[in-house]
Amino acid sequence: MPDRPASVAHLLPLKPKVLHVLLALADGPRHGYSIMQEVAARTDGRVRIWPAAMYGLLRELEDGDLIVESEKRPEEDDERRRYFALTATGKRALGEEVRRLEAIVDLARASRALRGRA
Amino acid sequence: MRYRNLLWLLSGRERSERQAINDDAELLLDAARARGGFAVIRTWAALIWDVAVHGAAQDLARAARSLVRAPGFAITASLLLGVGVAASATLFALIYAVILKPLPYDKPEELMAVWETNVAQNRLREGPSPGDVNDWVANNDAFATLTAWWTAQATLRGRDGSMPVTGVQVTRGFFEVFGRQPILGRTFAGGDYAGALSIPSGRTGGSEPLVVLSHRLWQTLGADRSLIGATLFMEGRNWRVVGVMPADFAIPDLDAAFWTPWDIEASYRGPRFADGPPREARFLSAVGRLKPGLSREAAADRMRVLAARFAADFPRTNADWSVELVPLHDELIRASRTELLLVFGAVFGLLLLVCANVASLSVARSAARAREHAIRLALGAGSGRLVREHLADSGLVAVLTAAVAIMITASSVGLVVRFAPADIPRLNEVALEGWVIVFAIAAALFATTVAVLIPGLRAGAAPIASTLKDGAPVSGHRAGRIRRALVVAEIAVTVILLVGAGLLARSFAGLQRVDPGFDVRNLLVLRIAPDVTRYRGADLVNGYYSRVLESIREVPGVASVAAVTVLPMSTIGSDFYRPYWLEGARPAGNVMPQANVRMASPGYFTTLGLPLVAGREFSLQDRIDSRRVIVINESLARAAWPGQDPIGRSLILDYQGGPTAREVVGIVRDARYDGPRSNPAPEIFIPHAQNPYLVMNVLVRTTVDPASIAVPARARAAMVDPDQPVHSVTTMEQLLGDALQQDRFAMLFVALFAIAGLATAATGIYALLAYTVAQRRREIAVRMAIGASAASVARLVIMESMALAVLGCLVGAAGVAGMSRVVQSMLFGVAPQDPLTLVATAAVLFVAVLAASWLPARRAARINPVAAMRI
Repeated sequence: MPDRPASVAHLLPLKPKVLHVLLALADGPRHGYSIMQEVAARTDGRVRIWPAAMYGLLRELEDGDLIVESEKRPEEDDERRRYFALTATGKRALGEEVRRLEAIVDLARASRALRGRA
Repeated sequence: MRYRNLLWLLSGRERSERQAINDDAELLLDAARARGGFAVIRTWAALIWDVAVHGAAQDLARAARSLVRAPGFAITASLLLGVGVAASATLFALIYAVILKPLPYDKPEELMAVWETNVAQNRLREGPSPGDVNDWVANNDAFATLTAWWTAQATLRGRDGSMPVTGVQVTRGFFEVFGRQPILGRTFAGGDYAGALSIPSGRTGGSEPLVVLSHRLWQTLGADRSLIGATLFMEGRNWRVVGVMPADFAIPDLDAAFWTPWDIEASYRGPRFADGPPREARFLSAVGRLKPGLSREAAADRMRVLAARFAADFPRTNADWSVELVPLHDELIRASRTELLLVFGAVFGLLLLVCANVASLSVARSAARAREHAIRLALGAGSGRLVREHLADSGLVAVLTAAVAIMITASSVGLVVRFAPADIPRLNEVALEGWVIVFAIAAALFATTVAVLIPGLRAGAAPIASTLKDGAPVSGHRAGRIRRALVVAEIAVTVILLVGAGLLARSFAGLQRVDPGFDVRNLLVLRIAPDVTRYRGADLVNGYYSRVLESIREVPGVASVAAVTVLPMSTIGSDFYRPYWLEGARPAGNVMPQANVRMASPGYFTTLGLPLVAGREFSLQDRIDSRRVIVINESLARAAWPGQDPIGRSLILDYQGGPTAREVVGIVRDARYDGPRSNPAPEIFIPHAQNPYLVMNVLVRTTVDPASIAVPARARAAMVDPDQPVHSVTTMEQLLGDALQQDRFAMLFVALFAIAGLATAATGIYALLAYTVAQRRREIAVRMAIGASAASVARLVIMESMALAVLGCLVGAAGVAGMSRVVQSMLFGVAPQDPLTLVATAAVLFVAVLAASWLPARRAARINPVAAMRI
């Protein structure tokens, strides 16, 4: 009997920085510095996660079973670097969060006040 | 600078994580360097912030977790410190509102109280006279606006009965000087002052009398907006209400119920005042707003020039008189400043004691943890890490301390306001406000730094090897030294507090022992201020009072009844200070001797219990149409007729109606009229019938508890005329107590803190000795094994505490010398170096120290050498 997927409802809504980290990992494993760069690039530098905050966050996510240290790594890279990847729970949490946000965006689009401005 | 240097802030993290953080930060910095100077600075700032926030937050979280696991120390420390800080913050709230906070008036630093001063006659602070104020207003070039006022009692009559109120009669510019706006309606316009007469005059000059109400009276009357424009019936006239002032407008004090315009020139017209408003009756209060940019000294110089001109123009009344300017703020807090600062000093001393005790606790704690720390250091923990943990622990204690302190202060401020003497000015402004909270937080930080942070840092810094040596005493020598120094400091502070309390107590006892000159027991005092419009003229006033006295005399338990304008030992009643000279010997110069003039009814001296030295007292035969007579006191007899018998001689008194000869018929003992600290002054008593005065104190000598007569006596007075309420009923002992209220307040406060201090110091000594004995168990066991007796071991412990006590006393003595200067002005009949107080303090202290050492000494003496050494 396959494991029933654990509910991720209690994790939502995700903190903005957590969402950005998970999004950065959605395309595949990255190391800490690369996550920082990716988040900064995706948000035009508006969201920056600095090292002490980043590794604290990564540890939290690891403890929460949203990410896991990845075995897959580019061969030529510095072996000290730790790569992280989304777990199944992490993927689901990200998906649920995105759906939650979509619903909100739909609501907003339906709003008369905003429609006028769009 | 290297990023690596910041990593100690993150020492709570795994080594590999710190490495990763460092590597990534270096990459970020490299990238920034490629982009140029500004980017580097921004990146550094962000990285420092990042490390600081994520480092400290983690440490605080760890400290909080360890607090929850082992709350003992943090809770004890923050409760103790919190109470100490709260006590200081409460007193600070008082001092802030009374002394530090600017007055609630526009540019308060420009406001000056104006006094007339006469060094030759030793009359240094006299309220200016109407004549002088009138000419100052017209001629001075020191003040932008100058105003004066005086207060009078009035009776407000309504449908539901009547109520005594204090009215303030103010001259033009009063509200403009203080620069406050009414909360309702308006204040007085220039024209409102023209022709306005005083409250006691009972007359209306030309225009309708107006009043501006105090916030408090407005509240009493129902706080209704429709009161503006309504009229109030007082002293036989209808007064129209034009405005209401805010609650914190308290000029001259919180008793002021309303303000009304007063025109000096219009009030002194007619043949009696041919020379205009009087210059010799100095009874007003005056405040001026300095001209912009003018200093107090410059303004005072200008006023003195004016005073010199008056002295030349009116030598009879103004010779030797000059002018003094006192900032209004100093004027208001003058009486309370020393007391408040003294009490604050005592409270701060207590805070230091608490700090010392908690510091001792911290030293013991970190000494106990020295081994654990040494082990962790030996196993590779960074010493920075231990320091940071300690910082976080201390920070947590500081936060808890501040929270405890603010919570306690919030309620204690109200208590202090309730129990502080009512004559402390501005009590209504005392509150838990911004600066008080800032003070509490600052004091909490200070206390935690002194008591937790520093002792922990120092005591923890022990060499690893010696700490870990097997069998080494857990507490290092260094920690022991610090704790001993703390106990010495505690004893020193306690000595200062004890001496202060002892001196104040001795002084207070001295004040209470002062012989007022009469019998204060079984005396009831009723203050009566009949309506001036109803009782106009000597016959009506005399008739009213003789009926009131007669009526009260019939109450069972009343031995005798009399009336007088001013009572001894109290400040209520109007005093007149008037010149006199012997018949045919009017002094040629302008310096005339003066005496206090009082009106008294027949039987006053008997009722008061003030013995007659010679002659007789007033009788019903001393009527308005009989020979003018007076009774004088011994001081005046000595001054006017040294070595002679004054009975039957006459002196000229320049009083109402001009200089009149009056014959001395009696001499009474001196009494202290201005509170127990004052010295007897020359007194002249005039029969009330010969100079009927409207506002009197009725004095009732009882054979039973005077308080039990209060209700029937008041009822009897009301039977004579239900519209004339008795303004207040009190006992003479109560009045005497009121005169000593500030002294009592200061003494009780300092005594309270001295006791708390003694208890704290004793606890500190006990804790230190108990700890030392526990530490030295093995050593003591060895001593006993080789023949030391139990008594000699106990002596060892007690000698140690005695040595600390002696040392503490010596250090405290230096502090006492400093403190004496502060208390000197408050002491009465006792010198700051009073040997009895010093010896008693030392005795109390040594007994307390001995008591505190008793248990540890006994425990040491009962150590079983065999059991102790087996471990």
